[in-house]
Amino acid sequence: MPEHLRFEDFTVGRKFTFGDHLVTEKAIIDFALEYDPQPMHVDPVAAKNDMMGRLIASGWHLCALAMRLIKDGLFDDQTSLGSPGVDEVQWRRPVRPNDRLSMEAEVLEARSSKSKPGRGIVRFRFDLFRTDEAGKRQLAITYTSPVMIRKREA
Amino acid sequence: MFLEDIPLGHKATLGSYTFTQENIIKFAREFDPQPFHIDPEAARDSLYGGLTASGWHTAAAWMKVMVAHRYAQIASGMDATQENYLSPGVREMKWLRPVRPGTTLTYTTEPFNKKDWPTRPELGLLLSMNEARDAEGKLYYSFVSQVFIAKKPE
Repeated sequence: MPEHLRFEDFTVGRKFTFGDHLVTEKAIIDFALEYDPQPMHVDPVAAKNDMMGRLIASGWHLCALAMRLIKDGLFDDQTSLGSPGVDEVQWRRPVRPNDRLSMEAEVLEARSSKSKPGRGIVRFRFDLFRTDEAGKRQLAITYTSPVMIRKREA
Repeated sequence: MFLEDIPLGHKATLGSYTFTQENIIKFAREFDPQPFHIDPEAARDSLYGGLTASGWHTAAAWMKVMVAHRYAQIASGMDATQENYLSPGVREMKWLRPVRPGTTLTYTTEPFNKKDWPTRPELGLLLSMNEARDAEGKLYYSFVSQVFIAKKPE
């Protein structure tokens, strides 16, 4: 469980490292069957002949997993009040079965809301890393997003 | 179909997806377990005044209707060149309104630009504006997709 981070804790330049999640072949296929049933995500045999060479996780699955790692490792139930969007998502490298995922977050901007007391907007860069079975760690996805963050009680 | 064959400025309807209390909670329990996505009672007291879908659920549902649309095109012989779509990422994701249980969103896509990709001269990037609207035409979600498409062989 994360410590109870609030707006005041997210100072510009501060970095957070968290999360350790194993990606199984079943999880890749289950997500993709529901939301992204392209052969490279659902069919280990067909994926072999494709340009990526082996089964890879849907990029949307990676975004969803990053959110889960953020909720488990950075935000408690009260930290976030939601987000208006994402500036840019870059899918840099594929994630394959048996990779482990971990996260880094950096605070890019933090400003208090003028109209809404009790909260501020924090712009984060979130990096999701994959570590393969040989122990090589690489950036898998990176995205920047503003999030509405609750302040501490006055 | 090759990149050169795709007209710009033509809006296509991809399909619709209905958000239910059940699928909103199922997605969020796995990927985005914040109170306003998983707990109808806690959500009533939140900023949103009720349960809302995770923004990543709204995003994943786009992929679901996009893949179904493409496979229907492939089946009808309109698009036989590529089974998998690869993308370097997306931009300007905007979650404009909370998506409530019972909302059906219809997703559209409109190509607006083509770009070269220097390291893969056989491919180009197709940029499209994507929108999700309810039955009354209210805009809930939009983003710019970028997809690699094969160019015509020389």
